[in-house]
Amino acid sequence: MTKNDEQALIQVNDLKKSFGENEVLKGINGNIQTGQVICVIGPSGSGKSTFLRCLNMLEQPTSGQIIFDGKDLTKFTHKEVATLGERIGMVFQSFNLFPNMTVLDNMKLAPKKVKHMRDQEATEVSLKLLYRVGLKEKANVYPSSLSGGQAQRVAMARALAMNPQVMLFDEPTSALDPEMVGEVLEVMQELANEGMTMVVVTHEMGFAKKVADKVWFMADGYIQEKNTPDQLFDHPENERTKEFINKIINEDE
Amino acid sequence: MGKSKLKTVMQLLLVVVIVGMGSLLARRPAHADDQSLNRVKQSGTLTVGTAPDYPPFEFQVNKGGNQEDVGMDIDIAKQIAKNLHVKLKIKNMSFESLLVAVQSGKIDMAIGGINPTPERKQNADFSKIYYSGGQDFLINKNDAGQIKNKNSLKGKKVGTQTGTLQQSLAKKDIPNAHVVGMDKTPDLVLALKTHKVAAVGVEKPVAQAYVANDHDLKAIDSGYKLNKNDVGTAIAFKKGNTSLVNAVNQSIDQIHKKNLIPQYLKDAGKHMKVNTNNTSMWHYWKYFATGVEYTLIISVVSVFFGIILGIILVLMRLSKYKFLSWPSIAYTEFVRGTPMMVQVLFVYFGLGVLVNIPALTAGIIAVSLNSGAYVSEIIRGGINAVDKGQSEASRSLGLSKKDMMASVILPQAFKNIWPALGNEFITIIKDSSIVSIIGVTEIVYELNIMRADTYRGVAPIAVAMILYFILSFSLSRVLNYFERRMNHD
Repeated sequence: MTKNDEQALIQVNDLKKSFGENEVLKGINGNIQTGQVICVIGPSGSGKSTFLRCLNMLEQPTSGQIIFDGKDLTKFTHKEVATLGERIGMVFQSFNLFPNMTVLDNMKLAPKKVKHMRDQEATEVSLKLLYRVGLKEKANVYPSSLSGGQAQRVAMARALAMNPQVMLFDEPTSALDPEMVGEVLEVMQELANEGMTMVVVTHEMGFAKKVADKVWFMADGYIQEKNTPDQLFDHPENERTKEFINKIINEDE
Repeated sequence: MGKSKLKTVMQLLLVVVIVGMGSLLARRPAHADDQSLNRVKQSGTLTVGTAPDYPPFEFQVNKGGNQEDVGMDIDIAKQIAKNLHVKLKIKNMSFESLLVAVQSGKIDMAIGGINPTPERKQNADFSKIYYSGGQDFLINKNDAGQIKNKNSLKGKKVGTQTGTLQQSLAKKDIPNAHVVGMDKTPDLVLALKTHKVAAVGVEKPVAQAYVANDHDLKAIDSGYKLNKNDVGTAIAFKKGNTSLVNAVNQSIDQIHKKNLIPQYLKDAGKHMKVNTNNTSMWHYWKYFATGVEYTLIISVVSVFFGIILGIILVLMRLSKYKFLSWPSIAYTEFVRGTPMMVQVLFVYFGLGVLVNIPALTAGIIAVSLNSGAYVSEIIRGGINAVDKGQSEASRSLGLSKKDMMASVILPQAFKNIWPALGNEFITIIKDSSIVSIIGVTEIVYELNIMRADTYRGVAPIAVAMILYFILSFSLSRVLNYFERRMNHD
């Protein structure tokens, strides 16, 4: 770690999470600096998604701390957790657009209800973001008529409409047909280039290599290794990491 | 003698209702300070309850399209009101409800061919006996050769109204008779004509009225040995309303002295002729129109409040606070575990002790309360079926629970449950018939009036079935239309 812990936007200390008897996170530690892109990789069932969902309190951690902007989220009341929606955006594997409203209404809902934005302002913000993800012409259609890639780009725009400080991505391309993965990763890369702080749980190693500042390798409920993408993919130090990287390389060949 | 078809079960239910409500209230001292006559005089109105499906005692005529209560009992009530110098106000309800209505003070008195049995005397006070006609059997004309009186009915099937004097007489005095009980006289006559029973025991004037209107029937004297003082019909009052009873008894004495009863019966006969002159169902379209109107009013209003109540119940149930979720669960279970008929009676008579609610309002309240419980369960199913990702996305955007429910979850839940809700609405249209018991003039109520008036047992039922079907079918078309409109995905 080159930067001081004091400057971290998010600081995770000994985070543990159990579902009943099953301990999924056994003690996670790590810092996320403003503007950093962290890619979290690892085998299925290693707890990556659970870790991500703890960061915006979709899951209540069993113990440990998540210091965000100097405050411990695990101590937040329900009301305070609700305010995280304005500061931490999240993109889901299955998009989770609201099927009962148009694309534009999907985007305007939270800015209007949570930020109390006027309708006109919310519309302007939403259309601008739709333009950015290349879907301005889809403003008035219902989500059912979108392709997977389009739906995921709308979902990103919807999260961005809240103007968050951090964006969390939970396997954003895993549910997509292969030919649509590119368009979603492209938008994510633009976002990274603009300096958004991002935590991305992904299986897209190419994306991790190209975009991530740091790659965290998770297995068995721990972060086994944190490093720059070049180091982690080309010279893994941890045995579990080596095993995982080898497996991926063999699959690719 | 006397129409006394209050069934044992019904009596029990009503007693439960009354006792239940009674315990909520400090009982007023009944005898100490009887103001019943003064109250009637001060209000200037005598409110009389009756069940107008029993010609010639009380029935309805179609006067220029408007339904009006007529009959011997109604004439007597008019005379009493006149003697008291007050206006007469008639409240129609089912016979089963009359005594409860008296006890709960919904009406000042009940007249309706009521026979003052010892059991009833425990719960109500009665006037003098104002009419005592005698007992007849209705038989098919073709059987006239074999059936002469009660002695010819040994071992045969005899139809009577359930729980009536006729029933106990048949059981006691006809050896080995198989006594068949039904609720309504038109049903019994229908059973007779289709040879399901050999004879029907009814009051003499009722038998004569049927014979006059149906030439396949014959009336024969029952041959029972009767004590006139035991088997007449009397007017029922709330216990302790002695001053009112005394005033009414004076009127009855006067009626007897002037020998007005035969005149009343003759008038009733004339009205019945008018009714049966034209028994085409078209002639009675206004009855059905009123029935449809009230069925629709009850259904539409109840569905509206049922949904609101259902949403409230389901939000309470999904709350993390036990003090909210527990009452919702208890309410739902309780409503689902009790018959709607009892609920209707409870709201009308039970709550009626505390606040005076009109029958229509009581019916709507009862049906809404009932429907709310079912709707809440349907909605709960619909909410559970909404993908978990929807609430996670809402939470990740910082939406409050309220906004999430209102904008995201409930609209999707309603789409999921639309067919089930449609079923519930159609059930309400059909089940609203239950409120006929408290005299709301919806389809079934009108149907029974019409059967009694026209002596046609089947035709009105057929029309009612078609009407219900038209209502339900149109509703399901409308619901389908909205279901298609909701289909974005």
